[in-house]
Amino acid sequence: MAWRLPTQMATSPGSVDYHVHPRLIKTCNLHGSLPFRHASSSPLLRLVFSPSPPGRRRCCVQPPLVRCAAAANLAPGTPVRGTSILVVGATGTLGRQIVRRALDEGYDVRCLVRPRPYPADFLRDWGATVVNADLSKPETIPATLVGVHTVIDCATGRPEEPIKTVDWEGKVALIQCAKAMGIQKFVFFSIHNCDKHPEVPLMEIKYCTEKFIKDSGLNHIIIRLCGFMQGLIGQYAVPILEEKSVWGTDAPTRIAYMDTQDVARLTFIALRNEKVNGKLLTFAGPRAWTTQEVITLCERLAGQDANVTTVPVSVLRLTRQVTKLFEWTSDVADRLAFSEVLTSDTVFSAPMSETYNLLGVDAKAVVTLEKYLQDYFTNILKKLKDMKAQSKQSDIYF
Amino acid sequence: MTMTTASTGAAFTNTTCNPYSKKWRPKPPLELVLGRNSTSNSTVRCCRSAGNRLFSLSVVARAAGPESSSAAAATGKSKDDEGNQKNYDNDGDGDGDEEEEEERSPSSQQQAAAASTMIKLDDVNPVGLGRRSRQVFDELWRKLTGLGQISRTTRTDDETSLLINEGGPMCEFAIPGAQNITVLVVGATSRVGRIVVRKLMLRGYTVKALVRKADQQVVDMLPTSVEIVIGDVGDPSSLKAAVKGCNKIIYCATARSSITGDLNRVDYQGVSNLTKAFQDYNNKLAQLRAGKSSKSKLLLAKFKSAESLHGWDVRQGTYFQDVVPAKYDGGMDAKFELAESGDAVFSGYVLTRGGYVELSKKLSLPLGRSLDRYEGLLLSVGGNGRSYVLILEAGPPGDTSQSKMYFSRFNTKVGFCRVRIPFSCFRPVKADDPPLDPFLVHTLTIRFEPRRQRPIEGPAGMKQDLRNFQLIMEYIKALPTGEETDFILVSCTGLGIEPTRREQVLKAKKAGEDSLRRSGLGYTIIRPGPLKEEPGGQRALIFDQGNRISQGISCADVADICVKALHDSTARNRSFDVCYEYMAESGKELYELVAHLPDKANNYLTPALSILEKNT
Repeated sequence: MAWRLPTQMATSPGSVDYHVHPRLIKTCNLHGSLPFRHASSSPLLRLVFSPSPPGRRRCCVQPPLVRCAAAANLAPGTPVRGTSILVVGATGTLGRQIVRRALDEGYDVRCLVRPRPYPADFLRDWGATVVNADLSKPETIPATLVGVHTVIDCATGRPEEPIKTVDWEGKVALIQCAKAMGIQKFVFFSIHNCDKHPEVPLMEIKYCTEKFIKDSGLNHIIIRLCGFMQGLIGQYAVPILEEKSVWGTDAPTRIAYMDTQDVARLTFIALRNEKVNGKLLTFAGPRAWTTQEVITLCERLAGQDANVTTVPVSVLRLTRQVTKLFEWTSDVADRLAFSEVLTSDTVFSAPMSETYNLLGVDAKAVVTLEKYLQDYFTNILKKLKDMKAQSKQSDIYF
Repeated sequence: MTMTTASTGAAFTNTTCNPYSKKWRPKPPLELVLGRNSTSNSTVRCCRSAGNRLFSLSVVARAAGPESSSAAAATGKSKDDEGNQKNYDNDGDGDGDEEEEEERSPSSQQQAAAASTMIKLDDVNPVGLGRRSRQVFDELWRKLTGLGQISRTTRTDDETSLLINEGGPMCEFAIPGAQNITVLVVGATSRVGRIVVRKLMLRGYTVKALVRKADQQVVDMLPTSVEIVIGDVGDPSSLKAAVKGCNKIIYCATARSSITGDLNRVDYQGVSNLTKAFQDYNNKLAQLRAGKSSKSKLLLAKFKSAESLHGWDVRQGTYFQDVVPAKYDGGMDAKFELAESGDAVFSGYVLTRGGYVELSKKLSLPLGRSLDRYEGLLLSVGGNGRSYVLILEAGPPGDTSQSKMYFSRFNTKVGFCRVRIPFSCFRPVKADDPPLDPFLVHTLTIRFEPRRQRPIEGPAGMKQDLRNFQLIMEYIKALPTGEETDFILVSCTGLGIEPTRREQVLKAKKAGEDSLRRSGLGYTIIRPGPLKEEPGGQRALIFDQGNRISQGISCADVADICVKALHDSTARNRSFDVCYEYMAESGKELYELVAHLPDKANNYLTPALSILEKNT
């Protein structure tokens, strides 16, 4: 009945049996409870397994300690090549840059991609191998890890799905499999300051995952990120070019946006640096920007005024409160939870000089937002206008 | 009729269905937005039942108008996509306007247009309505939720965003015009070749891969959009299809075993066959353009008839003018004539010590041509394998007294051969003259002198008199310059090969390299140290010539050099060794090496190669 991985994941006395157990995960799924909490007192992750009462409960009644107390399976066999990596979430904004970078640096890249009606052909076109698996179906994971040296995890659930299926349950399964199958390095992308915002579900999950990785004993690197410049294109640059309305908030929050290509580059430098093993790095862009500043910059570069719709942060919070009231909007509420961050944090950035020193990277080599957007506008302006006639929204509706 | 239903439905939705809108009265536009979104969610969730779809549409209609023309545009566009534009209803215009006035919305052109496009027969199709409403809701909802996010980008997998984010000029890998360049990769499944293919794909090149068998294992190893050509480098006939349409070739195939037959087949004959096939293809292209192609050579002289020999003067002379000819000097003689076989033969003997004979002609180039567009001379000659000196006189055409002489020595083989002499090989006779400027060349001379002749290899006991010669001339052409390399060959330095087989391997590789150099293609020969399977771009590289390197190099770095060399004019016609940087023990440094750190940002190849010898 119990489906076990062929591994030595021993349970320490007094702790809950913690084998990869799809049924268990399914159970949690069905109950809809969040099987974790922000553990501020204990360094160990506390988990509640079934039977847990249905409903949204965040407290644990009996917090059992959970450990992955096992050494990696280092039994003799065919040695794994150091250039073989698995990228989880390869179709995402960051993931595809990771894949490109890896391929260009000569790695053999395998991409874990969810089975989908329209396969991610661009990954295959670049020369990566695509394997179909789904983090929310743990039984599909182990096969993808065979022969892999390093796992780079840049996956996050899609906005429309419940936040914890991929981001928590899937990740736990992935990490356990990685541990069980002797993956030699695990790179995990987290969010900056995720330990300070337990009220934001995604950040709490990321923080718990960080801890889970640390406890698992995997050789790991955790990289916390602030924000991607690529996101600004869709959010501000394109609407301004197309003379559509741009939505911004009046929050004074500053975010140190970073180019995903730089993130990918630094990631691989970190990956090869033995000194970074087991460390937590934060990657932040050279300067932190407010929404208004970004819009002003885009306006200047595009040479046209933006039609800005400013949404006060209070409204966002209010929406969140309202959506929290109903169970069927709870996912929406989770997604809006960043408004809490927006109101509390004034600067979402981190000093980078130490990281640069550690990695031996020149700070000047990291692209600034001005440069990035300028490149974008000068290069794409014309192209985009040509394409505007044909291009359409991509989402497929049924 | 249906429209009225829809509009009432809209009113209904706005007032009754949205319990939150009251709260947010003070900010009208925002209220609309948020209200719609909250409702939207409910609508989206409820509208599975067909009855509700009309509601959702009406919300769309008004929502699209006031706040975001984008939404309206989106709806309009999607309708266009459905291709049902015939059912345009003019009455609809009025209806739409009235409706908007009722709803006290600000009137604008866009709005009117949006409203008018709303009224089509297609609109009342409940499936279409539901879909459209969801589109608009989703977009607006995404915008709102996007505000509360930090590092999430809208997920668009379509080609547009792909182009912007990856393939387009925004991408650090992009090379302008790469999509118009087709590169044939030979040995695409080798350690280097695999990475070369990926790098080329990432940069947007069109890639062809030559494989021996297209079995599943091979196909899986290559990116899906690589064109796979089946062929074998050992089989010239199979290469025709492979080179068709190719602009450049990267050859990273190597023999799988060190059996001499294998080595010969892949490392020597393979290169030779492929260069021939590629040249044939280039020549075919050149012919199609009637010799006007940039790849066409310029014919300087073709010796096939008695007239063609006209203008060529035979002269003789001696280097020691002040010495009285010795008593037993046999003298010298030479003639240039059309033999009975139809060959133009320059032959004779030079017995005088320090004497020489030469064949010379004043060049007459076709109108509008000058030699500065060319990079060297190509001679097709035969004979008994002596070496000759080719002398070019350059100077202002009107005043021959200012001419300067430049010379270059070339060897021939017994039988016919083609000799390429790059202009860069010519050295001034007077050491302090400036280097040769091909533009000023006006006279061409071929000189034979008995000095420094090497006996040709032949059956022992065959008596050779090195003082007589025979040179059968077929043609002299000027080779067009190319900015870039056409053929990149990944060879090896011989390090890391087991010593017993090293000789054979190197011999085959060298033969392959030589055949490439002679082919007339722009070539780059890369001789990496022992290959290591590790990621590239980590360690500094040393570029050197003369077989002095001692370190290994990662496959990815070799692949990177291949890809960089495609468009680097300094890489053309160069052979070089490359390996990781290493630190010599102090006191034991033999020579100074300059290391270059491979990086995407800087172009390390040009400075590294520019100090190295060309045409090696």
